[in-house]
Amino acid sequence: MYCPRPIADVYNERLDITRATHIDFPQAIPTSYYIDPKACLRVNYQTCNLCAQTCTAGAIDFSQKPKNLKLKVGSVILAPGFGRVSHDVLEKFGYGRYPDVVTSYEFERLTCASGPTEGHLIRPSDHTTPKKIAFLQCIGSRDVTCDNGYCSSVCCMYAIKEASVAKEHEPDLDISLFFMDVRTQGKGFDAARKRAEEKYGFNVIRARVPKIDQIDSQLALTWTTDDGQSHSDLFDMVVLSVGLDAPEDAHAIADIAGIELNSYDFCKTSHGAPLSTTKKGVYVAGAFQGPKDIPESVTQASGVAAIASELLKEGRGTQTVTITYPEEDKALEEEEPRIGVFVCHCGVNIAGVVDVKAVRDYAASLPNVAYYEDTLYSCSQDALKAIAEKVKENRLNRVVIAACSPRTHEPLFQETLRSIGLNPALFEMANIRDQCAWVHAQEPEEATQKSKDLVRMAVAKARLLEPLAQPTVDVTPKALVLGGGAAGMTVALSIADQGFETILVEKSKELGGNLRKLTWTVDGQDARKILKDLIKKVEKHPKIDIMLEAELESTSGYVGNFTSTVSKGGKTEMVNHGVLVIATGGEEHKPKGYCYGESRQVVTQLELEQKIAKGKSAFKTTKNVVMIQCVGSRGEDLQHCSRLCCTQAVKNALKIKELKPETNVYIFYRDMRTYGFAEDLYREARQKGVIFLRYTPDQKPEVVKQGRGIKVNAYDRLLGEDISIPANLVVLSTGIAPGENENLSKLLKVPLTQEGFFLEAHAKLRPVEVAVDGIYLCGLAHGPKGLEEAVSQAKAAAAKAAIPLVKGKVAVEPIVSHIDKATCIGCGICATLCPFNAIQMVKDGKRKKAETITASCKGCGICASHCPVLAINMGGFTDEEIFAQIHAFSPEGCGEELEAEKK
Amino acid sequence: MTQEGYNPRILGFFCHWCCYAAADSAGVSRYQYPPNVRVIRVMCTGRIDVRFILEAFKCGADGVFTGG
Amino acid sequence: MAEAARQALEDIGVDPERMELEWASAAEGPRFVELITRCVNSIKEKGPLGTESNEAEEDVKRKLEAAVEAASASKVRTSFGMLAKKFHKDGDYSPEAIKEAVAAKFTPAFRKERIAQEIKLLLKKGPMSITKLAKIVGSTKAELEKIVAPLIKKGILKEEKKGLALA
Repeated sequence: MYCPRPIADVYNERLDITRATHIDFPQAIPTSYYIDPKACLRVNYQTCNLCAQTCTAGAIDFSQKPKNLKLKVGSVILAPGFGRVSHDVLEKFGYGRYPDVVTSYEFERLTCASGPTEGHLIRPSDHTTPKKIAFLQCIGSRDVTCDNGYCSSVCCMYAIKEASVAKEHEPDLDISLFFMDVRTQGKGFDAARKRAEEKYGFNVIRARVPKIDQIDSQLALTWTTDDGQSHSDLFDMVVLSVGLDAPEDAHAIADIAGIELNSYDFCKTSHGAPLSTTKKGVYVAGAFQGPKDIPESVTQASGVAAIASELLKEGRGTQTVTITYPEEDKALEEEEPRIGVFVCHCGVNIAGVVDVKAVRDYAASLPNVAYYEDTLYSCSQDALKAIAEKVKENRLNRVVIAACSPRTHEPLFQETLRSIGLNPALFEMANIRDQCAWVHAQEPEEATQKSKDLVRMAVAKARLLEPLAQPTVDVTPKALVLGGGAAGMTVALSIADQGFETILVEKSKELGGNLRKLTWTVDGQDARKILKDLIKKVEKHPKIDIMLEAELESTSGYVGNFTSTVSKGGKTEMVNHGVLVIATGGEEHKPKGYCYGESRQVVTQLELEQKIAKGKSAFKTTKNVVMIQCVGSRGEDLQHCSRLCCTQAVKNALKIKELKPETNVYIFYRDMRTYGFAEDLYREARQKGVIFLRYTPDQKPEVVKQGRGIKVNAYDRLLGEDISIPANLVVLSTGIAPGENENLSKLLKVPLTQEGFFLEAHAKLRPVEVAVDGIYLCGLAHGPKGLEEAVSQAKAAAAKAAIPLVKGKVAVEPIVSHIDKATCIGCGICATLCPFNAIQMVKDGKRKKAETITASCKGCGICASHCPVLAINMGGFTDEEIFAQIHAFSPEGCGEELEAEKK
Repeated sequence: MTQEGYNPRILGFFCHWCCYAAADSAGVSRYQYPPNVRVIRVMCTGRIDVRFILEAFKCGADGVFTGG
Repeated sequence: MAEAARQALEDIGVDPERMELEWASAAEGPRFVELITRCVNSIKEKGPLGTESNEAEEDVKRKLEAAVEAASASKVRTSFGMLAKKFHKDGDYSPEAIKEAVAAKFTPAFRKERIAQEIKLLLKKGPMSITKLAKIVGSTKAELEKIVAPLIKKGILKEEKKGLALA
């Protein structure tokens, strides 16, 4: 506050001003101020000292000096992220010269509610709202002139996201996006892109704009489309979709860690071991390993943790500090409810729409509310501490937080309650962000009213909340891995290397899965050797038990204590295990049409690989090879993009050229999605004479039989006419279809995506977990991906699966059913209906009575809603609590007299 | 026939794992929908008792949306 | 549950379509939005509760109160629980089968109990003739007499000059 030294706000891309003493951004951890030593007057000129004098907590100490620490560690993990594309590259597009040419980083801040303009989109030159914006892709990517020959993998999708956000701010905006190829190969990305294009009506142009000129106050763009036509237009603003570069200090990191870099200064790794650097004990995760999106980065981060955990297994637990909680204040909990209501602004996420202060004041008027307050970010560390203090200070025994979703934040707040001796069940949330402010952004009054209603309902429930017991149960230290392909074997090996027994169940009679069909990897390694080594390690491992020709029949139980039956050769075997990993894979899609199955000259990419493996002789008579991409994928039989086919096609095209350079190879494609370093292969293929021809879904190439041969009829966009290529071999890139997932989905109660792959718990933050605790996911069962990504994901699943195994205990959810024995008439309806077999009928004197098996109960409540005599209640969701919420639904109140009567 | 200016009050019972999660995801994507629904979260639609539905109407709901 | 609730609503003259049961998985944000928007619009078209039966708010509320009481009665709940058990055993969850079974087993028990509860509520304000009661609760005189008889026997109700009264 008192810092007199203004500096450019780096977090806001220098579009705003901050002080030398500042917090980078509101959700920074920890959210405490720090002093920029480069700008501080005290540090540089020994003057000022204002902050130290005014800080009442005495938290500023200028006598501190940097220290060198020596740490003894078992492994080193590098995760320095990515660097920025150099300024020279941007200057080629007028950046720095024309103020309305901005980078995608700047645009992100300009459209962000917590950014310098509070989300109002303006042109930097004259602060007016632009009407027409162009996004230019591949700035500093796929560009050998700046030594960045690779594709940055993330820019196509983030440009569509930024364009969508801009459209939401300014619905009349006219947005053009200039792509070379639209590379939205991430899981669910193609569907998201399609939705955005339809909803917002973007102009999607396939062209690379070479340069930008300024004419008066507008920017002039000239480009050539792939039909050879030239175009030009004026725009108010141009966004440069900047790529991901290697970290600026990559060489310094490499020297310190003793690792090698690749030709682009990213960390050198291989497809078979994507997380290992060239030095033993040093591992890598995230964008330093290669440009990648959040899910892949988070996955690699977990994966690298698995490797560290394998190495550190001997020393595990030797340096652990256990959290101890104060004893529960039972007396306080039993007192008349004293409810504290905390209404969160969530920065502008809630407060930008909802009148937070009005909601707070409304809460004050509700019965039993003893304390109320609004907080800026209630989930920040500081705010949690403050909430804990207020609860203690005011002797509160129930807490209501009106903020985001209990699905994401309830555990965090409950932890705070525990830390001050309150039972975590004495907590309720009102979801005024995800289900209010965010979805009623145009109706602030209604959103405020809804928030008040939700708070009233939450308070009504809170008044009746009771403390719940938190039992823990022991974990069976064993893992069950389904699927013996590359992913499944990698998971099994890692879990076993971390010290736990693992059962590997494979449906077929041998291990290997789809990896069996590959002959070499994208980076040129011998796939068969990788497979052989992997199988050998798995077979030799004393802690891995392999079951071939076996299938899962049933699974019951819960995290830590599953019991499954596996059928093998007509017999079934029962296994107890603590965790389960789904690595059941997928399969190459077998398409309809394209003469596939009718002519031996029409094959899939995997079938081509087998042929190439036979060597040059297999291509003796082959003159023309035609490959067709997206056969079956992206809207034919399969809705999704299969992610790996473009790279696979280019890899195989190059192999054909290597075996027999005079072969003509044609590749028909929609967008070449050779993301990441695979772009090098794409470029090499073009240099070696592979001919790439783009087609659109309404003009698909046709495969026609002609006598004993075949030909491919297609439209050539550059020539502007139909062409016909006689082919000796037609190769279809058919994509990846999900395996037979429906059955397993039902068996394990794990949901599938619309495309039929398993759905992860959170696309970005929990990419290898699923909705069911104790079950993890990796490989093609999750979605199409290449070997490199499957291996990273398998390691990540192994890391997550090992967590309960390492802990040895899991806490049982306290929301289970409670059966009042005195009221129960032993009808057995509940026991029949329970989907988890969590109710047993036990003899109690003469009659049988129902009893809950607490550890199996999931708290669904079917038993309670079907009990004839209302003898069953649910922890945290009692009849009384739900009725109180229903009554509070009415603003005037309803049924309270009834409640009072019943008491 | 839609009555002008009539804003119905609707009570929703949402399953924690499905509909409640879908509602959260709609929020994350900033989809917009009418602000007439108030939500009670349950762990599963199986929890919903016929009594709850009837009580909701009794307490002034013009409609009840149960989402599994 | 949904079918039972719908038939219970129908019994008291509330449009059963005011209760919607829909499914949206965790991944289906857009579908959720579509469903909610459709639901709100459909209720908007129907108008406030009571529009369809053209009854005073007080009458609708009383019927609902009686309905909640009826749905809490163990007789009614047993019929409901047994039905669920039967569906579970047969594995037949087709809408037609459910509709038919609920109409045969649950709804008659519910209706009987609902009428009994509503009579009790009505008589709190003083005695009333059987004809008038039958009209208000929406039943025939014969049906009403059948329901009332055991209540008189148990000493819950008594017959007076003006009609029925609470005992």
